[in-house]
Amino acid sequence: MIKVESISKSFGSLKVLDNINLNISPGEVVVVIGPSGSGKSTLLRCINYLEKIDDGKIYIDGKLVGKKEINGRLVEAPAKEVYKMRENIGMVFQRFNLFPHMTVLQNITEAPVLVKKVSKQEAFKQALQLLEKVGLDEKANAYPAHLSGGQQQRVAIARALAMEPKIMLFDEPTSALDPELVGEVLAVMKDLAKEGMTMVVVTHEMSFAKEVADRVIFMDEGKIVEEGPPSQIFTNPSHPRTREFLVKIL
Amino acid sequence: MQIIELGKVSNSGVMKVATGFVWDWAFVLKMLPLLLKGAVMTVTLTACAITFGTGIGLIIAFMKIIKNPVLNFIGGIYTWVFRGIPLLVQLFIIYYALPMVLGITLDAFPAAVIGISLCGGAYIAEIIRAGVQSVDKGQMEASMSLGMGYFQAMRRVIVPQTYRRLIPPMGNEFITLLKDTALVSTITMTELTRTAQIYSASHFKPFEMFLTAGVIYLILTTFFTVVFGKLETKLAQSE
Ligand SMILES: Nc1ncnc2c1ncn2[C@@H]1O[C@H](COP(=O)(O)OP(=O)(O)OP(=O)(O)O)[C@@H](O)[C@H]1O
Ligand SMILES: [Mg+2]
Repeated sequence: MIKVESISKSFGSLKVLDNINLNISPGEVVVVIGPSGSGKSTLLRCINYLEKIDDGKIYIDGKLVGKKEINGRLVEAPAKEVYKMRENIGMVFQRFNLFPHMTVLQNITEAPVLVKKVSKQEAFKQALQLLEKVGLDEKANAYPAHLSGGQQQRVAIARALAMEPKIMLFDEPTSALDPELVGEVLAVMKDLAKEGMTMVVVTHEMSFAKEVADRVIFMDEGKIVEEGPPSQIFTNPSHPRTREFLVKIL
Repeated sequence: MQIIELGKVSNSGVMKVATGFVWDWAFVLKMLPLLLKGAVMTVTLTACAITFGTGIGLIIAFMKIIKNPVLNFIGGIYTWVFRGIPLLVQLFIIYYALPMVLGITLDAFPAAVIGISLCGGAYIAEIIRAGVQSVDKGQMEASMSLGMGYFQAMRRVIVPQTYRRLIPPMGNEFITLLKDTALVSTITMTELTRTAQIYSASHFKPFEMFLTAGVIYLILTTFFTVVFGKLETKLAQSE
């Protein structure tokens, strides 16, 4: 479903992603862990092309992301195609990034109506279903500022789901939350995983990783140092750097 | 004729207050219609400058924000030039120098409007650019991640968030534009300041004329302050 082929990315002289290879199958839940600055966010952002890559290729459903092959040469794809591709990939951010000038309902219906040209009526119906799913149906007309962090993040998840994506990317979705609010967000993510959503999750919530992840990836200095099922990574990591990191966060 | 010796320091070092100066109400009342006529011109100039200046500001801000090096450059040059040269000099160039170079003679009114609008546009562009760029980057990213295009995101997500932050600096800028219209008195535009100037000279009553003009300016600027203050609280409530 997602195929990352030896991609590299630098900011100036800083190599943030260094020859990353990754294959994610439909329905798989992949948790990415690693120290700050190891390139986890950048990897997610490259997958939906919020960040351009310097080298390598990314395929979603066999289709090249952000590039086009013309006479065997890779060129940047037109912006329209990139926008279209992003409809299939939902993203949830650490800081929620809800639209503060819109109600919860408007936050969720905005993109389907604007981008997919779904009728307003239909979008509202779907939004209410999604709100029910994330347990916030009574907050439909509230503004984000009046919600707790946990509620905001659940709205953000509903907003992403409203585009009916095939893949969901989560970038530290619970790390801006007070500890008592983490559970409600993780619960929604677990439900999503059970429904078979393909997910890439950057998180340091080990309980979540152990329970839901099919695979854990440990990144350091722009490289995938080690990957495997959570049981193996957490109890018996083969790489000393993984061990060092786990000691610090567990 | 009364002699005005306001603020003159006597040899004992004590301030002497206006020797024999008497405020002439009758003269003020007689001149008020003329001053008000000048004020109407000041308001007209301000209205034109706000309209065109905002239009120019929007265009230049757009050129500076969009990801296009050529447009960025042009927008940058524009604000560099029109913010970097005193408005007074710009007015002289437009009114006195351009006719000599290009052979186009402009009437004082269009020259005044063009001068103030071009200069005000540069400031307004900076205000709008700063407003748009003060919106959290996460908003554009969230919009993009939902499949929105750049312009869709700008129109629906980014720009609406700037309205409230733009109100105080725009209010300031409109007040500045209003006060800057006084400068066009130098290119023979008979607005409030020039009216005061003309009649204070012909009747030797500078104090009455300029103080009255000052009060009229104060009323006009207060109007902006009040309106923008109201707008701000109104938008603050709706958020
Ligand atoms: N737009 C950018 N310009 C310059 N440097 C950047 C940019 N974005 C990220 N970086 C740098 O790239 C490196 C990797 O960043 P990234 O955000 O991917 O790390 P991360 O693993 O997500 O870290 P964290 O756990 O702190 O979120 C960091 O050193 C960061 O400072
Ligand atoms: Mg990060």
